[in-house]
Amino acid sequence: MATVQLHHVTKQFGDVTAVHDFSLEIDDGEFLVLVGPSGCGKSTLLRVVAGLEEVTSGEIYIDDRLVNHVAPKDRDVAMVFQNYALYPHMNVYDNLAFGLRMRRVARDEIDRRVRQAAEILGLADLLRRRPAQLSGGQRQRVALGRAIVREPKVFLMDEPLSNLDAKLRVEMRTELARLHQRLRVTTIYVTHDQTEAMTMGSRIVVMKDGRIQQVASPLELYEQPANLFVAGFIGSPPMNFVRGTLEPRDGDLWFAAAGISIRVPGALAGATAGLGGHPIVLGVRPEDILVDPERVRVLPDHRVEALVEVVEPLGADAFVHLLAGEQRLTARVPGRVKVRVGDRLTVAPDPDRIHLFDPATEQALSRAATSP
Amino acid sequence: MGLVSQPAPYGRPAPGRQATPHAGSTTPPPAAGRGTPSPAARPLPGRRLRPAVILRHTLAWLVGLLWIVPFLGILMSALRPQAELIHGWWQLGQVTISAENFVRAWNHPTAPMGEGIRNSLLVVVPSTVLPLLIASLAAYGFLRSRARVRTPLFALIILLLAVPQQMVAIPLFRILRDLGFINSYAGLVVTHTAWALPWMIMFLRNYFATLPREVEEAALLDGAGRLQIFWHVILPLSLPGLASAAALQLTWAWNDFFMALILLYEPTRLVATQRIPLLRGQYHVDWGILTAASVLTIAVPILVFALLQRYYVRGLIGWTLK
Repeated sequence: MATVQLHHVTKQFGDVTAVHDFSLEIDDGEFLVLVGPSGCGKSTLLRVVAGLEEVTSGEIYIDDRLVNHVAPKDRDVAMVFQNYALYPHMNVYDNLAFGLRMRRVARDEIDRRVRQAAEILGLADLLRRRPAQLSGGQRQRVALGRAIVREPKVFLMDEPLSNLDAKLRVEMRTELARLHQRLRVTTIYVTHDQTEAMTMGSRIVVMKDGRIQQVASPLELYEQPANLFVAGFIGSPPMNFVRGTLEPRDGDLWFAAAGISIRVPGALAGATAGLGGHPIVLGVRPEDILVDPERVRVLPDHRVEALVEVVEPLGADAFVHLLAGEQRLTARVPGRVKVRVGDRLTVAPDPDRIHLFDPATEQALSRAATSP
Repeated sequence: MGLVSQPAPYGRPAPGRQATPHAGSTTPPPAAGRGTPSPAARPLPGRRLRPAVILRHTLAWLVGLLWIVPFLGILMSALRPQAELIHGWWQLGQVTISAENFVRAWNHPTAPMGEGIRNSLLVVVPSTVLPLLIASLAAYGFLRSRARVRTPLFALIILLLAVPQQMVAIPLFRILRDLGFINSYAGLVVTHTAWALPWMIMFLRNYFATLPREVEEAALLDGAGRLQIFWHVILPLSLPGLASAAALQLTWAWNDFFMALILLYEPTRLVATQRIPLLRGQYHVDWGILTAASVLTIAVPILVFALLQRYYVRGLIGWTLK
């Protein structure tokens, strides 16, 4: 177990900067998830930590040891690859044992560790099989086992579940989480899947174009996105965004767009003070658009008239696609709420959960700690 | 103002964008009536054969026959006694099959083929193993080295492929003579090895390049050094490629006449290919013994081909074509 520290890490490939001035400290035993769209530099960062790529500048410490010029095998890290990268010509036992043999671990110790890992991962009956004779999920487990037997300081996982089918992916997600609870090894996990990131990470790093967008716990990321990118990337269906302007009216600031007029709630008053006349982007998550008439009635300053265009029932929930003025909004309502296409509804964004973003900087306007 | 409702680049992909790659990858419809018939176009029971198909098949059979006839002649001449061959091997009035010619060729007084084949094996086996070892190491180095000389050095090796054998014959003879390698198998083995290295390095480098990089990286993280990766990962995964290279090199070295002619002239040391012309009598040509010796000599490459056919063909058309 170990801590990992990255100080101003930059990685360039020719003229392309894959990772830009990345600084982060990863705690001992933490499950850190790097998430972002493809090409955002998250895999490159993982390979830099593994030692498969050299940094262009910056420093990497594993357990307070500078490892910039340490060979991959001496960094005491284990990596799980997206396509598993098993040794095709070796059976499961040899795949698991290879790393230990290379490190000249005693034979009975190898046997003990391989059998223990096989037990944990449910591979005990498959030890004599070759990778080609295994299913995708089994291969994935062998790849994990290969990392586990080494008992490394850090696990590096590069989209380990993306080659599995949807059902298996959910199962393996749970299994990975359980494994981490049991072994408590510092883990850096790369994914482009926000669901994986949200469900597995104790902390999440959202990346875009090689830069950190936000580092936060899953809930914080969801409830207080730092900028437009994070707000749109985390959450499914994504947050509704409406472009408009801030208009002073009766001593308050109002958000105004075609067909929508909403009073800026008190919690955001501080951040918006003096921004009258400025363009602004309003963000509201689908579940924060209130449809229940009882709740809408008490929010006279936030009502929006909308036409129901499409209803997507999912069982527990339904997604209701609305047209408000010129705006398309998606609301998430309880599955039993009766809404039909063509209905005219009065809805209201929950004022406690409205986000405002500066369209120029794309940064969120911060919300006061307590809401009146 | 008031336009954006959802972040387009990271939300659901627009249907229009998804359609494009599919449109690009669709195979063009097969040109009707042309090219080899696909399984779907195969004539159904009861459907008539088209004249074009018949013509094509006839032509193919004719060309095939033309190729096989000389070989048939050799085989017939080798298997029948001299008396039956005076009026040509195609006379089928009386056909006696016997191994007599083979025995005579094998034990020939001046150029026994038995000894020739043994000598050929003594030359060819190390001439295959040695370049395989050296070339595979070099090929892996060329693939993974980050040294600046890599590219110019590789270009030089490609260039060496273009050198004709006849050009190096005289300097080669002089060098090997000065080294005392004339009339020794070692001299011929070194020559074959050197001659094989350029193509083999290129061939194996290209083969290694098809192996998944991640497997090597996994081994690197597992604590293996470059040589260990080469030995435990690259070589076992490259067995098909190595078999291809071995089959081609073995055939090439076995069939070689030119290099052997330059470097070996001690009668007991001559390899199989060198002995065939010696079996021709001064006053009359003993076709039986000549053809029997030829059959004995080509038996080895044919055996290699039969055993490693898949790898042999793959080696010729290239492993990267899949």
